[in-house]
Amino acid sequence: MINLYDYKQKLQNDGIIFSFSGPMSHEIIEGIGSAIRVKIGEGENGDRKAALKVFAIFVEQVENVINYSVEKDYEESQLSFGIVVIGKRDEHFFISGGNKIQTEKVAKLEANLSKLVLMNKDELKIYYKEKRKAAKEDDSKGAGIGFIEMARKSTKPIEYSFEKIDEEYSFFTIKISI
Amino acid sequence: MENLHIPATKSSPEINFDAQTNILAITGESYPENTTQFYESVFKWLDNYIETLQDQEVIFNIELIYFNSSSSKVLMDLFDILEEASEEDKNIIVNWIYDEENDASLEYGEEFAEDMESLSFNLVEK
Repeated sequence: MINLYDYKQKLQNDGIIFSFSGPMSHEIIEGIGSAIRVKIGEGENGDRKAALKVFAIFVEQVENVINYSVEKDYEESQLSFGIVVIGKRDEHFFISGGNKIQTEKVAKLEANLSKLVLMNKDELKIYYKEKRKAAKEDDSKGAGIGFIEMARKSTKPIEYSFEKIDEEYSFFTIKISI
Repeated sequence: MENLHIPATKSSPEINFDAQTNILAITGESYPENTTQFYESVFKWLDNYIETLQDQEVIFNIELIYFNSSSSKVLMDLFDILEEASEEDKNIIVNWIYDEENDASLEYGEEFAEDMESLSFNLVEK
């Protein structure tokens, strides 16, 4: 691709403000996160509340890629590959994130997420507080409440999909709208 | 006992625990790369400090613009420790300081307050 203009125009036409596909690290959260907060939160049409919400979901999604993506250059690598896209359509921001996971993990993740989709805001709040009090789950590297946090901030039910790559691996995508 | 001071970074808050004035403060943003590791020394200091307390008043000011979900868990653990100390008649007051424009911060403060029974937990507008 020696001319990126068409590619850029396509992203712009889809309402995409930011898109990143590649190795993720904590520095990405700090650096790109700051730029997102300035872009959405400042200037004439700046919306600081929306900026902080988008940033909060961006952080949880990149942390998920860092903690759970199985796509790495080598096993002990600090860098995990994934994709994060932030856009705005019909006055609503959306934040989508995706990464490769083991197919055997799909059922458990899907069970967790489908439960959240059915909950209303009050139920999500109770569930969030309950999980926050509970001890860490064994295979959870964070607090295990990231998805609930995202669901609570989302103005519509969280959307997600699993694309089977092969027997061993699937691609997980999550989309949050605010 | 020595004071604990950890300067803020872009993704971790300033910790300012003063054992002489009994004013403890956590200020800034909290989404460190490794949450458990970052807060380890904070909890260690606090455990030792609570041991030394008699009836003096302790003010704990928390002013966080943003914190991620793993920090939320850590804050819950922190308030559980303070709650337990209050039950043992330690005189601890938590001030959850929020910016009027940051309604998420107020909401988080309210939710922590709901879970506390003996700990004094105030919501304070900046």
